[in-house]
Amino acid sequence: MAVVTELRKSASGKGKDPARKSAAHRGDAKAALFFLGPWFLGLIVITLGPMIASGYLSFTDYSLLEAPHWIGLDNYTRMFDDPRLLNSLKVTFTYVIVSVPLQLAAALALAMLLDRGLRGLAFYRSVFYLPSLLGGSVAVALLWRQVFGAEGLVNQFLALFGIQGQGWVSHPDYALGTLIILNVWTFGAPMVIFLAGLRQIPQMYYEAAEIDGAGRWRKFRNITVPLLTPIIFFNLILQLINAFQTFTQAAVISGGTGGPADSTMVYTLYLYQKGFASLDMGYASAMAWLLLAIVAGMTAVNFLASKYWVFYND
Amino acid sequence: MNSKHSLTRGRTAARWRAGAAVMAVAALSLTACSGDNGAATDSDDDSAAPVVEETGPVTIRFSWWGSDTRHETTQKVIELFEEKNPNITVTPDYTDWGGYWDKLATTVAGGDTPDVMTQEERYLSDYAARGVLADMNDLPIATDKIDSTVLESGQIDGGLYGVATGVNAYSIVADPAIFEEAGVEMPDDTTWTWEDFVDIANEISANTPDGTYGVQDFGGNEAGFSIYARQHGESLYDADGKLGYSEQTLTDWNQMMLDIIDGGGEPDAARSVEIAEGGPEQSLLGTNKGAMGFWWSNQLSAISAAAGRDLVLLRAPGESEAERTGMYFKPAMYYSVSKTTEHPAAAAKFVDFLLNDPEAGALILSDRGLPANTDVREAVAGDLAPADQQAADFLASLSDDIVDGPAVPPEGAADIPEITSRINTELIFERMSAADAAKQFTQEAAAAIGQ
Repeated sequence: MAVVTELRKSASGKGKDPARKSAAHRGDAKAALFFLGPWFLGLIVITLGPMIASGYLSFTDYSLLEAPHWIGLDNYTRMFDDPRLLNSLKVTFTYVIVSVPLQLAAALALAMLLDRGLRGLAFYRSVFYLPSLLGGSVAVALLWRQVFGAEGLVNQFLALFGIQGQGWVSHPDYALGTLIILNVWTFGAPMVIFLAGLRQIPQMYYEAAEIDGAGRWRKFRNITVPLLTPIIFFNLILQLINAFQTFTQAAVISGGTGGPADSTMVYTLYLYQKGFASLDMGYASAMAWLLLAIVAGMTAVNFLASKYWVFYND
Repeated sequence: MNSKHSLTRGRTAARWRAGAAVMAVAALSLTACSGDNGAATDSDDDSAAPVVEETGPVTIRFSWWGSDTRHETTQKVIELFEEKNPNITVTPDYTDWGGYWDKLATTVAGGDTPDVMTQEERYLSDYAARGVLADMNDLPIATDKIDSTVLESGQIDGGLYGVATGVNAYSIVADPAIFEEAGVEMPDDTTWTWEDFVDIANEISANTPDGTYGVQDFGGNEAGFSIYARQHGESLYDADGKLGYSEQTLTDWNQMMLDIIDGGGEPDAARSVEIAEGGPEQSLLGTNKGAMGFWWSNQLSAISAAAGRDLVLLRAPGESEAERTGMYFKPAMYYSVSKTTEHPAAAAKFVDFLLNDPEAGALILSDRGLPANTDVREAVAGDLAPADQQAADFLASLSDDIVDGPAVPPEGAADIPEITSRINTELIFERMSAADAAKQFTQEAAAAIGQ
């Protein structure tokens, strides 16, 4: 919940804490700096440095093989004439808009199921969390290819009902669907957070509601959801950013091609291809900055919208 | 893309020279190329510095792509080299084809170019033009035993940026057992037409149980169209490094693909996409589910091994149908040396060893194409496995009918395989008509090569 509190503070601009300035806390600040040091070092060397470099490269014709030359805004203007870039945006938005809500719904549903005091909760929690640990891996993406292949598990299952399946991952109409299912399946992380959130809702509200004769749906609609909105919001932002940056699954399932027919060509995969296969690293860098702008924009929109639906109980 | 290609201005004439000579059997092309260094490029600047052999211990890195068998073979070759040259250590750096180019580009960008690397014709121009590769004319590498027509395929603007390891031909691999099962006679490959080919493919599918097909979809490799275009007196790229075919020819080619799909000669589109990703082992031929497929001749042994039965090589259809023959010898790959290597002498020595040493040749055999060194080729002839021997005989039988080689793929050609396979997918799913697919390909290919 700590993260959520932080998030809330930064959202509402109430982060200042007068106590922090007191002398008693000065020692703490030093310790904090000491412990945060390695992280800051990583941030600067691994994240900030390359970001600045990519910002510069986005204004050049860098090909990886030669020194970059400054070409101004060319890379950015070229984006408007790139139908494959537009297609990759379409694919990515479809992926995000379909998979994130489904994933959150699945996570919440499972969390509520597990919250009912099941025996062996820890076991179930681990089992449902497992896909999240594996889902981003190359191994599971490879497995997915088999499962949804022409002779895969899915088609063998369909055959039991006399349905003639097909190669789902190799058909342009369905390939993205298999990626979306994979993402939904990895609902473990938001589920665990939901579970923690559900535990925070005081039991007395439910008891009061029951006395008033509220049914299950009514309790969910009027108690659970409103009190859970900060958690939903937190999960939404996190998964949104994650989904926009999805790469491994699309790359592995399509064999690195984004195929068939560009149907799984998510934005980051196209960026990768441009940079490393077409040796057009300048353009790829510009694409990376466009993605940053898009993700930042989406996040900002969500923060603004959150005023109307997220309820902070304080 | 504009500025990316600005460095290559004025290379057109040189490209013509290189292009005319590539892989040509015609001796004429020799004179067009010989000793002309008139077209100086930025990569010729420091050619004067003599290469001095170092005496102390030296470590060089060799990057290549390939399968596990190649990695094992190459490791043995390296050990043999180190035994003969105790002061040189060769660090192996290998990966599969898919990851090779990303990795190579990244290491070059990081200033850590491998001292010796394998190159491929579609990438050679890109790397040479950007000053990554050394001019091997300046290095002590003996090339006098290398088949001269093959050697010239590594020449760009008068510089030698790669020495071909061996040759290949894009041809049809056929499974006689499935022909027999379908009751279809094996064609006479010197006379068969593309129409015969389509009919045979469709007939085999019709005469065999479901799941067995006439031919594997082959539209995803531009080499097939290259042959077809050449048969019609055109070419994928012309000598000036531009697209050299008419859109109508490509439309006809695409239409043929649709005719095979309509006639049931190849699997449905989704299936074809899946098979194409699987490589030789998962191919229709490799799994005994198809009678024919287009492959490079050196893949015969891998496919035969997967199939577990004897397969045969056939010439492409239409070789005697249109204006001329279209098949050609392709350099399987090249050995290239980094321009910035700290140990040019050791790198050169290693390449020389790979190319010319009979013991190295006996280990490599035809893994990197039928050896380009004619002495080595003769020496290993008796040691080749049956499938490789068949490929060698097949190539020998072609040499009288191959007119010339296609021009060196221009800079930017590295994008063409991806464009070809993507648009072919659009075509076979019938999301594009034959004409639209031709138009789209031409547009994208032209943009890729900066035309």
